[in-house]
Amino acid sequence: MARNLTASLILAAAAWIAATGTGRAQTLQRLTVESFVLSADTMQPQVDVPFHVIVTLRVRESVSEITNLQLPMLAQLDLLGDERQTVSDPRGTQYREVVTVVAHSDGRIMIAPATLQAIDARDGKPKQWFTNDLPISVHSSASHIANGMAAGLVAHVARILAALIWLALLVGAALLAIFLLRRRAPVAPVASVPVSYQPAPVLSEAEQRRQQIADALLVLRAERTRSAAVRVRGAVWRAIGASEGETLADVLRRPGCGQGVLRDLLVALERSAFTYDEDLPGAIDDACAALERYAGSLT
Amino acid sequence: MTLERQPRDLHDALAKTIVGQENVLEALLLALLSNGHVLLEGPPGLAKTLACRSLAAALEGDFKRIQFTPDLLPSDIVGTRIFDQRESSFATVLGPIFANVVLADEINRAPAKVQSALLEAMQERQVTIGPASHALPDPFVVMATMNPLDSEGTYALPIAQMDRFLMKINVGYPTREEELQILDRFAMADTQPVRCVATLDDVRSWRAAAHAVHVDEKLKRYIVDLVAITRAAEGVSVKSAAGTTLKAAELIDYGASPRATLALAFLARGRALLDGRDFALPDDVRAVAAPALRHRIGFNYRLATEDVSADVVIDAMIAAIPAP
Repeated sequence: MARNLTASLILAAAAWIAATGTGRAQTLQRLTVESFVLSADTMQPQVDVPFHVIVTLRVRESVSEITNLQLPMLAQLDLLGDERQTVSDPRGTQYREVVTVVAHSDGRIMIAPATLQAIDARDGKPKQWFTNDLPISVHSSASHIANGMAAGLVAHVARILAALIWLALLVGAALLAIFLLRRRAPVAPVASVPVSYQPAPVLSEAEQRRQQIADALLVLRAERTRSAAVRVRGAVWRAIGASEGETLADVLRRPGCGQGVLRDLLVALERSAFTYDEDLPGAIDDACAALERYAGSLT
Repeated sequence: MTLERQPRDLHDALAKTIVGQENVLEALLLALLSNGHVLLEGPPGLAKTLACRSLAAALEGDFKRIQFTPDLLPSDIVGTRIFDQRESSFATVLGPIFANVVLADEINRAPAKVQSALLEAMQERQVTIGPASHALPDPFVVMATMNPLDSEGTYALPIAQMDRFLMKINVGYPTREEELQILDRFAMADTQPVRCVATLDDVRSWRAAAHAVHVDEKLKRYIVDLVAITRAAEGVSVKSAAGTTLKAAELIDYGASPRATLALAFLARGRALLDGRDFALPDDVRAVAAPALRHRIGFNYRLATEDVSADVVIDAMIAAIPAP
């Protein structure tokens, strides 16, 4: 019981750190999520016998790491280990995290979904994805043996039925082959099925800029620090075509940058990047408001 | 930043009297806020005296002008002791340097010992006459001028002496529009005297506020990089008037001193305050970089033989350091 409680606390702390620290400290990735699944190597683990809970994520982009992925709260289970693997190739990235756990009491456990926060590359919006949840039934040794016997009987009958079906299929296939050879019918060319790829939606320049500003706003709201303000300032400068080495005066001289909401935004971001610590919260508030106004002006 | 009167008010008051010469006005105010002195180089007749006199009037301070000549003596600047026959004792007569705003006109026309006396007073902010030391008034700003057109019979200031000036401004001729305004303002009517817009106490509180202006770590590194490149400018190239590409490092004998680093930070703080901010920006540093560096870099003879302007080299070095 005490071990369960310890495990729960550790996992809760890890989840909290992931949510408030790492999650906020990093910019959301732009990902096209293809699959996001939570599974286990057994749905009926035994008491005190380790088993694995597996999170598998497949994305279209080739990335070196996946950030902002949060594991489910594995309460009532004791955490024994955690192994992550990220495999990237030009077709995308497969992320697999295997968590080794053990249950110390029998009964049903519902493992909540894992979550992923990212910018959906398909529509450019920040989203949260959830895996399926995972119902686990933990058995003590005695019930497992009883269940095992019943399961063994069912499996035996199933094997006999499967053998009969295979036999029937083989006979049918042989008869069909003989029939086709005797007809000697010309083989019609098999038309290849055209594979249609859904082209990635091409965003207009205004859409892209609006998306970049929306991303910047999301980042600055989530992470109200100087470094985030500097990153957002850099992102906005890049979005309007300015280079990193320029000063505010240079940027304001660019066409369209010296007046209106964009000017206000650039000035507010400059303040948040260079003001003193006591003024930083107010500067970030102003920068967020300016980002909102500018994003609104782009619609 | 809760200041009763803002430095910008002083600037606006001066701008009503002086047409154009924005860099001279800003330099005067920055020197005032940073407790420094300004060296001006430019032809005569460009409102330098008027700017100094107006600044002193706007602050209700004293203004003195010293015309430097080859026969000037140190005592003509700092003062001397004369024998009072009635009292049968020596009395101290303070020189013209005892003023809030001092215009040292054509500083390079006086011999080295006179220049030294002035520069020492600028640095120490006190002078010793006979057995007694006398503190100079506070605020105390010296604006020294040099005429680049007429160098006959002049004594060039050594770099070590020039380093004591916070900044050096190249004063140029006004634009056509500005000259028309000068005609309207001065030739057709009586000049309006500058009204007092601040007190000497205001200047002291502005200086304290300027001292408290925040300079971010990124800006400090930018300042250090700007000064460092004047000492090792291997990667910087400039074009001569003839179109030849030259390495900046080949034109420089020695770079700016750490006093330039401090000057850049002081001036950036002052400029931020002048703009109503209590934090400095990269723009502040870049705007004051050339005036703070140009008199602190030792250029060699190749600058003249290759016909390259010192400011072209300085601008190239500033451009080589990306702003944070």
